[in-house]
Amino acid sequence: MGRLEGKSALVTAAGGGIAGAIARRFGAEGASVMCVDIVEESVTKTAGDIESAGGRAAWSLCDVSKEDQVRELIGKTVGAFGKVDIVVNAAAASEPTHTVVTMPLEVWQEVLDVNITGMFLVCKYAIPEMQKSGGGCFINISSTFGSIAWPGRPAYMATKAAVKQITRSVALDFAGDNIRANAISPGAIETNRLLARTPTMDAVREKMVPLHPIGRLGQPDDIANAALFLASDESSFMTGADMFVDGGFTMI
Amino acid sequence: MGLLDGKVAFVTAAGGNIAGATARLFAEEGAAVACADVAEEDVRKTAADIEAAGGRAIAMVCDVTDEDAVKECIARTVAELGPLTTLFNAAAHSEQRFKVADMPVDMWRRTIDVDLTGMFIVCKYAIPEILKAGGGSIVNISSTYGKIAAAERPAYCSAKGGVRMLTKSIAVDYAADNIRCNSILPGPIEGPRMLQRNPSIEAVVARHGQRLHFKRLGQSIEIARTALFLASDESSYTNGADMAVDAGYTAF
Repeated sequence: MGRLEGKSALVTAAGGGIAGAIARRFGAEGASVMCVDIVEESVTKTAGDIESAGGRAAWSLCDVSKEDQVRELIGKTVGAFGKVDIVVNAAAASEPTHTVVTMPLEVWQEVLDVNITGMFLVCKYAIPEMQKSGGGCFINISSTFGSIAWPGRPAYMATKAAVKQITRSVALDFAGDNIRANAISPGAIETNRLLARTPTMDAVREKMVPLHPIGRLGQPDDIANAALFLASDESSFMTGADMFVDGGFTMI
Repeated sequence: MGLLDGKVAFVTAAGGNIAGATARLFAEEGAAVACADVAEEDVRKTAADIEAAGGRAIAMVCDVTDEDAVKECIARTVAELGPLTTLFNAAAHSEQRFKVADMPVDMWRRTIDVDLTGMFIVCKYAIPEILKAGGGSIVNISSTYGKIAAAERPAYCSAKGGVRMLTKSIAVDYAADNIRCNSILPGPIEGPRMLQRNPSIEAVVARHGQRLHFKRLGQSIEIARTALFLASDESSYTNGADMAVDAGYTAF
């Protein structure tokens, strides 16, 4: 008996490293998983992995910053699985390195549109479905960089702080509807995204491992484990929390 | 001898309660103050008050979401008052009360645009001038609700969370350029806008209940004095901080 048996989960950015691991884990624990991404090749791979492991999955392309697409996505999920119990909001854009002064307004705007307005939209249309089925929970992916700063990432950091607050807003406003909302703030997790700024994973490790007292980079499964806990009834008294899964990065 | 003698400050929302008090205090302490606001009559009044008290000020109409307007206002500040050293970002918009599921997307965008993107734009164009002046101090207004949630204020809470990290981003990126950047998180501050949502000040105090440890609202001058500290050299080792001025509201 899986820990998410009978649940319907929607996972954005499911073609990516972290959310892909979450989607597979949820599938293995008995949830029906709607895998969402903007990249067809990667999202079909995740959904295929879940099915070939004996789980139940569907997939959909969706740009979460577009209201019509999000509305359609929620309808499609309810059509496929009958309800939406769990939403993992992981879709995020990350700007090229810029300071506030050198960053063009369009770059700033794109990151805000995906990372916070996209999360707002998914919540906006998923909540009424959760209310209909008697409750649900959100797991919103923030970042250590929503709490501490790093050079050259103003838009990413501002949105990741905003994620913590929209999480608390949803948690507060819908607590009476049996809807929980929590954030996860990952440290440096070993995914392809880290290679956008540093040429090799070895170079990333050399730079980042010393900042993580636990002595290694995080793995996508570290985040998937935390997400599973927050999605399951084991975390039934947790709402509005900001869970750091960062190997101690922010404690020093 | 004032704490801000020889400084030039750009103050947004200077026609308002908190920023108006700050603009006047900065001027009393010797700064020349560019007062910017969307409300022409209000901002002219603040500038006139400063001049009547023997200070130096100019008034300008400025919508912080308008990139061209901001660029022009910063240029005018430098042309008329001299090298820019000090920035006080207070322009903010607060949406009507809605939960995420009921909030129209346009309303969400408006708050994010003014409170977060507007601050980004002002910083983007002010910082090059502060660099030319050899450094300075930026003070950004976040909120108690950038740290904890308020009922039915998802956009405001998210934007104010974003302000805290935008602040830290600038603090890190420009520390070597002798620019400090800090945020203030005011608790409930008494002002005319409050009476638009509430029948009386007493009703506001009662609504906040036991979290309001001083059993009174904050006064705008109490935020202005904190801004003065952060703008002056008395805070020369304070950078990237978020300073709660809330009588312990968020400490409880």
